Amino acid sequence: MHKRNRLFVSIALVYGLLGGLIAIVRLIDPSLIPGNVPRAHGHIMLLGFILMTIYGIALHVLPRFGGFPLYSEQMADWQLYLANAGLPLMIAGWLGWRDMLVMVGGALTYGAIVLFGLNMILTVRAGGRGRVIPVQ
Amino acid sequence: MKIELIVSGVCPFCLEAEKVWRVAAADHGFEFVVLDIAQPEGAALAQRLNLQTVPALLIGGVLRAVGVQSPEEALTLLHSPRQEAHDRMQQMGFAFSPDNRWFILTAQVYLMLAGLGLLMNSSFLSDNAARPAFMHLFTLGFMLFMIYGLASHMLPRFTGNPIREGSWPWLQMGLAHCGVIGYAAGYLAGRHTLIVVGAVLTWLSLAIFAFRVWPVLWPEEA
Ligand code: HEM
Ligand code: HEM
Ligand code: HEM
Repeated sequence: MHKRNRLFVSIALVYGLLGGLIAIVRLIDPSLIPGNVPRAHGHIMLLGFILMTIYGIALHVLPRFGGFPLYSEQMADWQLYLANAGLPLMIAGWLGWRDMLVMVGGALTYGAIVLFGLNMILTVRAGGRGRVIPVQ
Repeated sequence: MKIELIVSGVCPFCLEAEKVWRVAAADHGFEFVVLDIAQPEGAALAQRLNLQTVPALLIGGVLRAVGVQSPEEALTLLHSPRQEAHDRMQQMGFAFSPDNRWFILTAQVYLMLAGLGLLMNSSFLSDNAARPAFMHLFTLGFMLFMIYGLASHMLPRFTGNPIREGSWPWLQMGLAHCGVIGYAAGYLAGRHTLIVVGAVLTWLSLAIFAFRVWPVLWPEEA
């Protein structure tokens, strides 16, 4: 499994634990963490935990299911950078009531989503580049 | 301790595996048994383990590996310190193991409950205090359980590394069930303490999941 894909899954686990922790703190005492905590929690879980797990597993397995190598390793690398640059900004924006930060972070996060989507379409589409995955 | 190798006559790699393990067992004074999957003993064992691939290796009656190991890997498996039942490293086969099968099965039940709850909540009940309950039946009961079952099944095979099994997945599962149900019931009954307890139990199950999956992603040798 490519190191980048293992990083996606590992970072997802960290976000999952963090998002859960934030929610628990919020439940115990809402005044401990400022800002729009439910929204930050929701997106740490959905964008950080669920989506990054899907990224890591899909980048690994969809090329194999499709029978073609990943269209672009570079796009996938940039997807990792953008996703992890964007989400912390979004979280910071929600916790600090800074809509501007949410927007910038959201744009970066969205960039990762688009890179992933295009990469997957170009990989899985019948007749992609037509290279066959080497054994192993 | 006994080493058992399940093989098939039509599998060319099995001979290779048998050679490796015959030597490793002899070197370490273990009893070595080769079982043919076409024979009743081998077939019964394969069925009990839900085995879909050969060669498969059992050490002390526990499925430890599938495929052909190098002599070095054989040595590592024999000397692995994690032999105790409660902290066992195990390879995943092609078919779901019972723990992952249950994660996937119960995820579908939570999905149906969540859909029903959201439908009733918006159509029949005007009060929205129950919204987090049904939403988390979906995000925790369905999404999280699906990830539990699928990731524990697939990641060991993607990486070729074993995952912590034994009683860990069952503890993770028990905590997750109690957590989700407690959390949702807390909102429905308006009991704040129950919500918090459910939240903490769910978080603990997630922590166990991370603990199990981490060595799959980052094995010690690497
Ligand atoms: C340790 C596990 C979790 C705990 C303790 C937890 C707890 C909470 C709490 C207390 C809220 C605020 C409810 C409210 O008062 O409105 C919330 C909201 C939410 N949670 Fe979770 N949650 C957990 C896991 C998850 C997961 C795994 C997901 C998604 C996959 C998720 C998605 C959401 C979403 C989308 C919201 C709504 C956010 C909003 O209102 O903007 N949660 N959660
Ligand atoms: C580029 C990525 C994303 C951005 C910039 C973003 C931004 C936002 C914003 C600004 C809101 C608040 C909307 C409002 O004020 O009503 C919101 C709500 C929400 N988002 Fe996202 N989001 C993103 C991705 C996602 C994804 C991938 C999911 C689910 C898998 C998701 C699930 C939700 C949910 C459930 C809510 C509603 C929470 C509630 O009403 O309590 N978002 N998002
Ligand atoms: C039978 C199927 C479903 C029904 C009847 C249903 C119905 C609803 C309703 C009525 C709400 C609003 C709850 C409220 O605000 O009180 C809601 C919210 C939500 N649903 Fe669904 N849904 C279904 C399936 C799904 C699926 C498949 C997904 C995700 C893939 C999903 C994700 C969500 C999320 C994240 C929210 C929270 C958004 C928010 O903040 O309001 N639901 N659903």
